[in-house]
Amino acid sequence: MMIRHWKWIILGIALIFLITAPFFLSGYWVRLLTSIFMFAVMAESWNILAGFCGYPSFGNVVFFGLGAYTTCILMVKLHQSFWVGAIAGAILCAIYAIVLGLPILRLKGHYFAVATLGLSEATKELVTNLDKITNGSEGISLPIIPGDVKVIYAAFYYGMFGIMIVTILFTYWMSKRRLGYAFQAIRADEEAALVTGINTTWYKTIAWSVSAFFTGLAGGVYAYWTAFINPEGVFDVAITVKMLIMTFLGGPGTVIGPIIGAFIFEFLSEVVWSTFVNIHAAFLGVLIVLVVIFMPGGFMKLMKGKLSLSYLLANIRENRI
Amino acid sequence: MVILQNIINGLLIGGLYASVALGFSLVWGVMNVINLAHGAFIMVGAYVTFWIYYFFKFDPFVTIPFSMAFTFILGYLIQKYLINLVVKAQVFMVFILTFGIEIFLMNISNLICTADFRSVNPRYAGSGISLGGVLIPYIRLAICFIALFLTYLLNLFLNKTKTGNAIKAASLDKEAAQLVGVHIGRIYTMTFALSAAFAGGAGSLIAMMVAISPYMGGIYTFKAALIACLGGLGSIPGVVAGGLVVGMAETMGSHFISPGYKEFIGFVLLVFILILRPEGIMGKKFFAEVKH
Repeated sequence: MMIRHWKWIILGIALIFLITAPFFLSGYWVRLLTSIFMFAVMAESWNILAGFCGYPSFGNVVFFGLGAYTTCILMVKLHQSFWVGAIAGAILCAIYAIVLGLPILRLKGHYFAVATLGLSEATKELVTNLDKITNGSEGISLPIIPGDVKVIYAAFYYGMFGIMIVTILFTYWMSKRRLGYAFQAIRADEEAALVTGINTTWYKTIAWSVSAFFTGLAGGVYAYWTAFINPEGVFDVAITVKMLIMTFLGGPGTVIGPIIGAFIFEFLSEVVWSTFVNIHAAFLGVLIVLVVIFMPGGFMKLMKGKLSLSYLLANIRENRI
Repeated sequence: MVILQNIINGLLIGGLYASVALGFSLVWGVMNVINLAHGAFIMVGAYVTFWIYYFFKFDPFVTIPFSMAFTFILGYLIQKYLINLVVKAQVFMVFILTFGIEIFLMNISNLICTADFRSVNPRYAGSGISLGGVLIPYIRLAICFIALFLTYLLNLFLNKTKTGNAIKAASLDKEAAQLVGVHIGRIYTMTFALSAAFAGGAGSLIAMMVAISPYMGGIYTFKAALIACLGGLGSIPGVVAGGLVVGMAETMGSHFISPGYKEFIGFVLLVFILILRPEGIMGKKFFAEVKH
């Protein structure tokens, strides 16, 4: 009972802190938090298909890039407002996921992973080569938004924060419905799920398109925020890998795990970045290795047990060969 | 004539691709692990060749055993002291682990070797034979032959030696292999070390063809994944077939469509092959069973 109580208090304090943060934090921290929210949205969306259904996609960055590009092209070439661009981008991503999901989601495990990786790379090459529409590898610049920089950054902060909250609430709502139970049934045993009358292909496609929708939305906001995108940047495989690491750090298949993972990972890489300038990436590699070896269950599992040396060593004893 | 030249180029590069994907396919087939650090081993092999060539002025072809030995030891240590500790955890934890190893190797090389592009240029780099208007550089020909020879060596090892047979047994059925006395941990270490060694050898060959840098590995990991899926996991003849198909598809694609679409063709090919024939061109069912 007591533990339940504490959870809500901590959550409340965190929420109040995040809502009021732009008023007292410097521009650097506001930007860092905005990008953390963005990654939290993407990790949570990745988790909908990978964590709940058990289908780890290695190409989810394709929706981030598509959302960003759709928003940019609609704004720059067709002179639409940002809202039209971002919503159209997100819807396009959902449709893309449905059309490609129907054949690709029949694959399993590593095959599914590699097919999605191929899909995202193929889309990136296509965007790079369609230079009449996308400016190719030069990228697209958006017009700078006039006005006070602080206000603009605060606006993007609340925008990303809002998307993150919506994504979390949606995932929570979904996990308590028929939809969420169907997803978990697919993860546990796909054939058994099929036998009980779940149209597995259709449910997996729904999961992927929801995941695509939110990732695309984050991509659109990102494009408007940075005011410049190019294929190398927004279709970067490293972004997919980040979604994956954040989800596994936090705990896949839970609602709040990927969010916690996003916060921990981004803060850690920021701290490592600023303290070990020359070897930060190598250090990050070591960090990933240590986390995987000592805590293969993620932080959510860690919070349920007690953190101690014997817990960490027990993980090795359990998983080694 | 241009077509013929393209076919020759495709075959020559395809032979090299086979050796690039060799180790990757082996590890995937035997251990069910996607090794993201594969490209990093290729990069390490390329640098071993470069430094030996740079300091001792050895012929680059002579350096191949050195880079294979070096990456063998590296792979052995990584599998024994890192990956073997988590093999029983969720499959994708190992994937993330190899990603961490890749970042680490890439950045350590960046610190030691700096990010400059380096190249190995032996005396005979420019010479070649001309057959009826088709130009074949000697070095490309040699690279292709050595790559295929390495592939043949691994095939021989897997089929003729006791350890090789144990590796094949482990890839077919882990439990049954353990029952007849195969030590799975040791076999995994051996498999990964071999895979790293062959990646190192491929890296040496690549260093003689193109300029190398610490971040060169990523694209080869992709190509290896593509070829391994095409050919069928863990199947050595499949890797050769997959390498040749990819090499041909790339050169033909850049000839008929546009050089910009070279990679696009490869990835579209990958997605289609996976959807239509997930076990690959030459894969057999048991090589590619996914268990989780």
